[in-house]
Order: sequence, then structure tokens, then C-alpha cells
Amino acid sequence: MKILIIEDEKELAQDIKSYLSNESYLCELASTFQEATEKIHAYSYDCILLDLMLPGGDGLKILENLKSANKQEGIIIISAKNALEDKVNGLQMGADDYLAKPFHHSELAARVYSVIRRKQFDNANVIEQNELQVNLLSRDVRIKGQLVTLTKKEFGLLLLFLGNKNRVISKGALAEHLSGDLADMFDNHDFVYAHVKNLKKKLFEAGCSNYLQTIYGTGYKWEA
Amino acid sequence: MTKLLNRPFRAFTVYALLVLVLSVPVYYLVVDHIWLTELDEHNHIVKTRIEERLADRAFSNKELNDIIELWAVLQPGTQLKRAVNVRPDSLYTISREGFEQGLLETDRFRGLSSFIYINGEPYHLVVETNVEEADETLLAIALVTFLFFALLICGFILLNRRIAGSIWRPFWETLEELKRFDLNSQQEVNFPKTNIEEFEDLNAELTRLIDKSTAVFNQQKAFLENASHELQTPLAVLRSKVNMLLQTPELTAEQSQLVNAIEIPLSRVSRINKNLLLLAKIENKQFETNEWIDLGALVVESIELLRDYISDKKLTLERTRFDHLVLNCNVTLVEVLLNNLLINAIAHSEENGQIMIKLDGQTLTIQNTGQVPLNSQMIFKRFVVASSEKTSSGLGLAIVKEVCSRYGWTIHYSFVEQRHSFAVTF
Repeated sequence: MKILIIEDEKELAQDIKSYLSNESYLCELASTFQEATEKIHAYSYDCILLDLMLPGGDGLKILENLKSANKQEGIIIISAKNALEDKVNGLQMGADDYLAKPFHHSELAARVYSVIRRKQFDNANVIEQNELQVNLLSRDVRIKGQLVTLTKKEFGLLLLFLGNKNRVISKGALAEHLSGDLADMFDNHDFVYAHVKNLKKKLFEAGCSNYLQTIYGTGYKWEA
Repeated sequence: MTKLLNRPFRAFTVYALLVLVLSVPVYYLVVDHIWLTELDEHNHIVKTRIEERLADRAFSNKELNDIIELWAVLQPGTQLKRAVNVRPDSLYTISREGFEQGLLETDRFRGLSSFIYINGEPYHLVVETNVEEADETLLAIALVTFLFFALLICGFILLNRRIAGSIWRPFWETLEELKRFDLNSQQEVNFPKTNIEEFEDLNAELTRLIDKSTAVFNQQKAFLENASHELQTPLAVLRSKVNMLLQTPELTAEQSQLVNAIEIPLSRVSRINKNLLLLAKIENKQFETNEWIDLGALVVESIELLRDYISDKKLTLERTRFDHLVLNCNVTLVEVLLNNLLINAIAHSEENGQIMIKLDGQTLTIQNTGQVPLNSQMIFKRFVVASSEKTSSGLGLAIVKEVCSRYGWTIHYSFVEQRHSFAVTF
């Protein structure tokens, strides 16, 4: 899978690249409007991360170009503007998702994962990891073919973990994934433990191996 | 407080009263003097006439004796008697009591005592004329004076009203315009044109002042927005670096706890920054698009979003009355308002506390249990943290207030029966 990161802040772009890069993702960087336009026309990607404020032009213009060129890439806007108008405009112009800076890398990875899955597997969109099967469309989870009933939040957490294999996810990132922007307003995210504990218990009881590791004092890691 | 025009009015009234009261004795003295002078003249004329006529006729002594006897009967007001010793003429004023229409009355007389010679014999002639009594004169003058005083006062009042209505109109209009002015809404201030120099000066100075304040205010707003904007990127990089650090495989437990400890203040900074940016955006009149929203549904949504935090603190949530209320406004702003009020209630509740939500007609009340009342003057100000709670960004309620003032809603804080209560009237 090829991902293009259009972001003028080099440090940030580099971090995103090294976080996302693994055996299945290959990341490329573009830091100006010009560079981004050239790359888009020369190559095709599975997913494009698009910063709206770029030296040399408006990121929304790139989005427009992509759409008029009938490109099929999944597009996620990553912006510091956080303005409602930008979000609405971006989504209306055909972006697949919008993420306001500053974000957790795990959140971005989960969004990238889900955009790519949506683009590539229209109908039979099932994630499989050994005995675990997750159907993204019907939103059901099976272990060795046996249906496991998860709450909406537990399902959300499971997707986040699957999109961030072998990465440490902090409690704050988990809370933000569950409560969105509101998580920012609290320092105490203890409720995350409860949801993760329940998820772990349900998976374990259904016979799933223990992929989810607790990293002491920090968060969790899904090992695969 | 007194009205400006009432001040001189009062002074004028007192002065007029003083002058008029002083004028009463002066008038009296002048009138009395004129009276007496005129009467003296009159008495003198009478005396001269009597003297001349008696001399012209050349009465015999016998006739003269008869006349003098008859005189007392026929000529009241004058006396003619034979005199023994002659003194110079003298004037006098005398009061006599007498019956008039059956009533005892005191009459004042002005008299002339004179000595005349008839047929070479000296006679004492007294001419007396009734003068208006002093107290009657005084009373009459006082009455007239007070009548005029009353007329003056009526005139003052009428003039005062008319002046207040017309001359001061530009002033009232300027004042109205100032009352309507709101630095936040930035509408134009149009002072009425006037041909009175002082008001024109006032208006010009006010316009200058307002323009300057508006400019400074706008600058400040722009600064706030730019500053928080500029902070977004370094914050994003910082968060990203912390994230990367967390992924390092060699991280010891101690180090990962340190990283975790960095994350907490970091999210606090980004929270403050996000809120500042939001405040700046509300102030700068973003979030313009309005739509019809069902407030109750939004409250329920907000509660659902915060459900985890509510149960985490073992809070009980009670919804008592819940009327249907539809508003035309920006949905994001209302969500922000509701979330902030709820977050505030959650953050400031103790464990096992209670949160009560009520939507009664046009008023949404959110209460939570607490110990000490907050300073209601300060809680809506920016960065005034009313409690020791560290989670507070100090901006949540300022944002709530800002949203309320944007739509002209009112928010009221009270503390009753160990409950903090925030009531928003839409």
C-alpha cells in the first residue's frame, strides 16, 4: 500500500512516516503544493494525507484536482485549522475523513486503515488475524467462527488496535478515540481501563489468544 | 441621582423665592411711604382750604362760635378748637378702635395738627384721614407676590421640560447610541448630527474613542487567533515526538512513565489552545450557519458522549422535567455550550455526587452537588479557576458565556442547597 503524506512541517511528516511504515505500508512525503501536485499526477496512491495549509497553495485545491482527475485515492485531511467550514468543505469535496491537529498517531493510523479497507474491499470487508475475524460492514466479531458480542465502544477499541499493530497506544489516545474531542477536557481517563478490560475478557473467554499487552503506566499494544 | 436640569431649576426656584420674600417688606415700606406722603399732602390741602374759606367769609366772633360748635358734628375727620398756646404744625399716625358694621375694628389714621388764625385768634385744627392698616397692606402685597411666585414656578417647570425635550435631544440620542454599542458586535455607531457645538464635540470625541477601542479590540482578537494558531503546529510536533518516543522498543518502565507524565500537561496545553482558538473564532463571528435544532436531543447526545466520565466518577444523573425546545442557531456552538456545562458539572462534582438536568420552558438548568459557592462575579471570566481542580482549562465557562452573548441568551449561576446551578435561558 502506498501512502502520500502532504505536510509542510518536516518533523511531523517524518514522524507520521515512521509510525505508519511497516511491512504493508510504504510512505512518501511531499512538503509543498508544487511537489504534491507533481507526485499526484505521476503516481497513484492508496491513501493521501493532506495538510490544508501548504507553501505555494491551498490544500483544498489539491483535493479539487484529484477529484477532477477522477483519482480513486482515499483522502484524509489533516489540518491545524480545525475550522468547521474546512471540515465540511473538505468532506463535501470528496475527502474521506478529517483529522484536526494535534492528533494521536494511533488515531491517524486507524483512520488510514479504515479508509484503505473501505476503498479496497467494498463488500467482503473482513479483517482476519488467526482465529479472529472482524467484519467491518456488519460490525460483527467472530472467534473460531463463534460470534462475540461487543459493545460499540469495545468494537471501536478493537478496530483501533487492529489498525495499530505492534504500536504502543497511550491511554489518552484511547480516550480520544472513544470520546472524540471531549477527551481533551479531562485528565482522568480511567474509564478506558474498564472498556479495555471488558474487551480483553470477552475475547479471551471466546478462545482468542492474548494479543493485547498492557504496557505498564502507559497504555496498550496489540501484538501480531 | 438628580437630573442635570433639575439642579439649576432648584437653584432658580430658591433664588426667586428669596428675592420675592425680600421684596415683600420693601414693597410694603415703599407703598406705605407713598400712602403717608400723599395723605399728608391731602391733609395739608384740606387745612389750607379750611383756612382760606374761613378767612374769605370774615365771620363774626359769634358766628364763629356757632361754627365751631357745629364743626364737631358736621365735619368728622377734622377738629377745630380754640387754642391756648400755639405750637408748630405736626404730623402723626394713630390707630383707633371703632365699630364698623357691628364689628370691632382698628383703623389707622394719618393726622395733621395745625394752628391757624381766624380773626386774629389762634385755633387748633386737626385733620385726620383714614389710612389702610399696615398689616392689610402687607398681606395684600404678600398675596400678590406669592401669586407671581407660583406663576414663575409654573413657567420654570414648563420651560425646563421644553428645554429638556428639545435642547438635550442630541444628548439623549448620543446616549442611546452608546447604550446600544457593543464592542463585540462591532456595528457602526452613528451619532446624530447636531448644531450645538458642545454636543458635536462630544460626539466627535466619542467616535474617535470608539474607533480606537474597536481597532485595539480587533487587533487583540486577531492576535489571539494568530497566537493560538501558531501554537497548533509546534504542539502537533511535540505530541508526535512523544508518540514516537513511546514506540521505542528499549523504553524502560520508568521512562515510559515519564513519557506518560509529559502527555498529561501536553494535552492540557493543547486543550487551552484549542479553547482559545474556539473563543477567538466565536468572537470573530465564525460559525455563521444557523439551523433548527432540538435542544433536548442535543442534551441527550452530549450526555451519551460523556457517559464514561459520568460513570467513572460514580455520579448519578437525574433528568427531571424535559420540555421540548427548538432553537435556530449554530449546532456546533450549542454542542460546545452543552458539553462545556456538562464537563464543568462532571469535573467539579465529588465522587458519588449528583447531576441534575432540567429543561423547563425556555430555561435549561444543570446542577451538580458541591460544598462551597463559587464567586459568581468571576466564574465566567477567562482563566479564573474557581476551584483547585487541575483539569479546568479556565476557559470552559468563558466559552459558554461567549456563546450565550452571541445569541442574546442569559446565563445565571446560583448556589442553593449544596448545589451549583447554571441556568441558561434561551
